[in-house]
Amino acid sequence: MGTVTVNQIEKNVLMLALRAGEIMLMSGSEIYRVEDTVTRICKAYGIPYVEVFATTTGIFISLDSGGEGKPYTIIKRIRKVAIDLDRISLINDFSRKLSDDPVPISEAMSLLEQIAAKEKYTFPLQVLGGALVASFFTLMLGAGYREFLCSLAIGAGVYAFGHLLDSLQFHLFIRNFLACALIAFLAIICSTAGLASHTDAMIIGSLMIFLPGLAFTNAMRDSLSGDLLAGAARAMEAALTAISIASGVGVVIFIWVAAGGVL
Amino acid sequence: MMLFLQFLFAFGATAGFTLIFNIPRRHIFFAGFSGACGWVLFQYLFLTGQSIIISSFLASCLIAALSELFSRVFKEASLIFIIPGILPLVPGAGMYKTMLALLKEDLTATAQIGTETLLMTGAIAVAIIIVSSFVRAVTLLLTSDRLR
Repeated sequence: MGTVTVNQIEKNVLMLALRAGEIMLMSGSEIYRVEDTVTRICKAYGIPYVEVFATTTGIFISLDSGGEGKPYTIIKRIRKVAIDLDRISLINDFSRKLSDDPVPISEAMSLLEQIAAKEKYTFPLQVLGGALVASFFTLMLGAGYREFLCSLAIGAGVYAFGHLLDSLQFHLFIRNFLACALIAFLAIICSTAGLASHTDAMIIGSLMIFLPGLAFTNAMRDSLSGDLLAGAARAMEAALTAISIASGVGVVIFIWVAAGGVL
Repeated sequence: MMLFLQFLFAFGATAGFTLIFNIPRRHIFFAGFSGACGWVLFQYLFLTGQSIIISSFLASCLIAALSELFSRVFKEASLIFIIPGILPLVPGAGMYKTMLALLKEDLTATAQIGTETLLMTGAIAVAIIIVSSFVRAVTLLLTSDRLR
């Protein structure tokens, strides 16, 4: 019966570490941070052999406490990613605290679920974020206050539209394509209606919302820490996102120019 | 005066990203600060006649270094500061102009602007890599703990 109890502890540690890794990957963490965190959690509970392999789309954990018990391996596929930098930092911190003071596993699990359930900024605040990004970038490109106000509205509208597409489970690239097409459309409407004149500045400012900053940064940091597979995958994601943004805007401008409009 | 206004604008834009990426309220100021500093350095270098690529590179180095500093001071993941921080430098305008030149079937301009955009992106990437490997080396020298 002895081995059974030992294995039960191993299984619980495995589930705890897996959940932590899963939340981090779903929040858009770098790979080395996920692997470090998972290893740290397992070591905190005294498991001597831990191997973690994570990529952007999945995580594999294998652990063995030596002796009579069987080794455990688990695979988890990661499908949905929603950027949440706060959760990454919180779980990173959680694993550090755990290695200093390993609380009982059930308690650790409930702490982890608290982090997972932590409220993000409310939706109106996120929309405000989108509006701020769009409007201030428009100013940075040298436009005036009228373009600022137009971009404020475009940014808010487009962010909300992107969120709607997300909830309808559109793929990332299609979502960016459609949202950026909407940006170009609204910016052209604003300037044709005589509300503002710098169409370029409004379009560029608003499309900054959808730029793949996280994918790009993580591509670099992952490749640097030797996670070449994840690095290449993220670089690909960044490149495809950039293409989908450019083509979304491009299609609308193309139609507009073909229909005889002036930019 | 113009640079000061640019500082405020970049601060606002970076603060907008902190809301989108769910960065805790207490760090909004510092994330905005590093983003704004980088953007002002970029503008300053560009206005004083440096090439746009060198300007991007040095500005990204500053942002990455500030982010690493803040991440250690506040004991948070450096992602929290670096991701909103570098976004103002990412050449969205270059991307847009490349696309526009391609639509006008002006392939010379497409190649010219496109290459410049790619090189700017590369400069940011190299800056991030250099700063974070430098910081990692220093951290390893000082402690046995890995990069936060």
